[in-house]
Amino acid sequence: MIVKIENYVPVGIDYEQEIKWICIGLIMSTLYSFGFLFSLSREYSALFTGNAFNPVLRKDAIMPDFVELFGHYWIGFLIVVLCMIALFVHHYTYHYQNSKSIYLMRRLPKRWELLKRCVALPLFSSAASMLIALLLMLVYFGIYLSVTPETCLAPDQWQKIWHFY
Amino acid sequence: MLELNHVSKNFNGYRALKEASLTLPRGEIIGLFGENGAGKTTLMKCILGYLNYTGQITLDGHPITHKNIAHISFATSEHSFFPNLTASAHKAFYELHFPTFREKRFNGLMTFFELPTHKSIKHFSVGQKNQFEVILALSQGADYILMDEPFAGNDIFNREDFYKVLLGILEPTETVLLSTHLLEEVEKFIGRAVLIRKGEIVGDTTVEKLADSGKTLIDFVKETYHYKSDRVIQALSNLTDER
Repeated sequence: MIVKIENYVPVGIDYEQEIKWICIGLIMSTLYSFGFLFSLSREYSALFTGNAFNPVLRKDAIMPDFVELFGHYWIGFLIVVLCMIALFVHHYTYHYQNSKSIYLMRRLPKRWELLKRCVALPLFSSAASMLIALLLMLVYFGIYLSVTPETCLAPDQWQKIWHFY
Repeated sequence: MLELNHVSKNFNGYRALKEASLTLPRGEIIGLFGENGAGKTTLMKCILGYLNYTGQITLDGHPITHKNIAHISFATSEHSFFPNLTASAHKAFYELHFPTFREKRFNGLMTFFELPTHKSIKHFSVGQKNQFEVILALSQGADYILMDEPFAGNDIFNREDFYKVLLGILEPTETVLLSTHLLEEVEKFIGRAVLIRKGEIVGDTTVEKLADSGKTLIDFVKETYHYKSDRVIQALSNLTDER
């Protein structure tokens, strides 16, 4: 089954341009989230004394919690979601621009057609944004667990993530 | 049959429609007349469900919902098409959503008015946009075609053509409710005239009855509106006195 995007966006809207900007937003958010890896690297180095060729784990060294390190690096995805609310408003007001196509949309026999066309792309993009954020978080958490020496790992990392988000 | 029973509409305390009752049987061309702000557009928007109202509006005995809304089409001077779309893309959209879409009528009217099919509607002239709006309303396959000042901006020849085409193509089951200020022009084409004033239906007569009584549509409107013919002379003389 082929899904035609034009059936899920307002009629006649330049949806390719919208999709392009959504993709840019998601890519920028992903790039920004890479900042976590730099933070992790910095904190990891701080666990050791000595030089790069002969690192010695500091006594009582503790790695900051994952939630603390991941901190604001997921904010880009939240911004994308907020932009999707604006996109929904744009999709609705589009039906008032240069004509009142809202009159046609509101008298279509398919009751949810207008809502479907206004909501589908913002909703799908928000879901995609949240999913990417979640996947990245899991990947980063995996990296965090694998690189952090066991003795430096603060307890209850999972619970802290759960409570934070 | 489209029936309105005691339909009222308030806008922030202002009564735009007052207990309007009207019956539109199939197969009539009805003119809806009234001055600006009389309630013509409000009446049509209530029928289409764009506005909330009190009272009852039924189509063949049933309330108007998404199940039967396809039986009503709407052409408005505000335009309800998609400006970025071509005429042929509109045709495809209508065919998808209105199973009774009249393709032959659409093609015929597009050819008659020499409208381009592969040009975005936003590049049409105002007159062409109006024509296209009406073509869509006529081609939807609706039984009740509501037209709200559809020819604003069209020249007289264009309008005359349209009235003739309208008379020629309409089937006996199709009803047109035409709201316009162009009384003299439409007099020959309508079968019934409904007058609305300050939200109230103040007159409803057939052209036949008017002809029998030797009155024209203009006479009927002036009479119903209690038009004072000496109003202008009086105003002018008052103004002259001032000097």
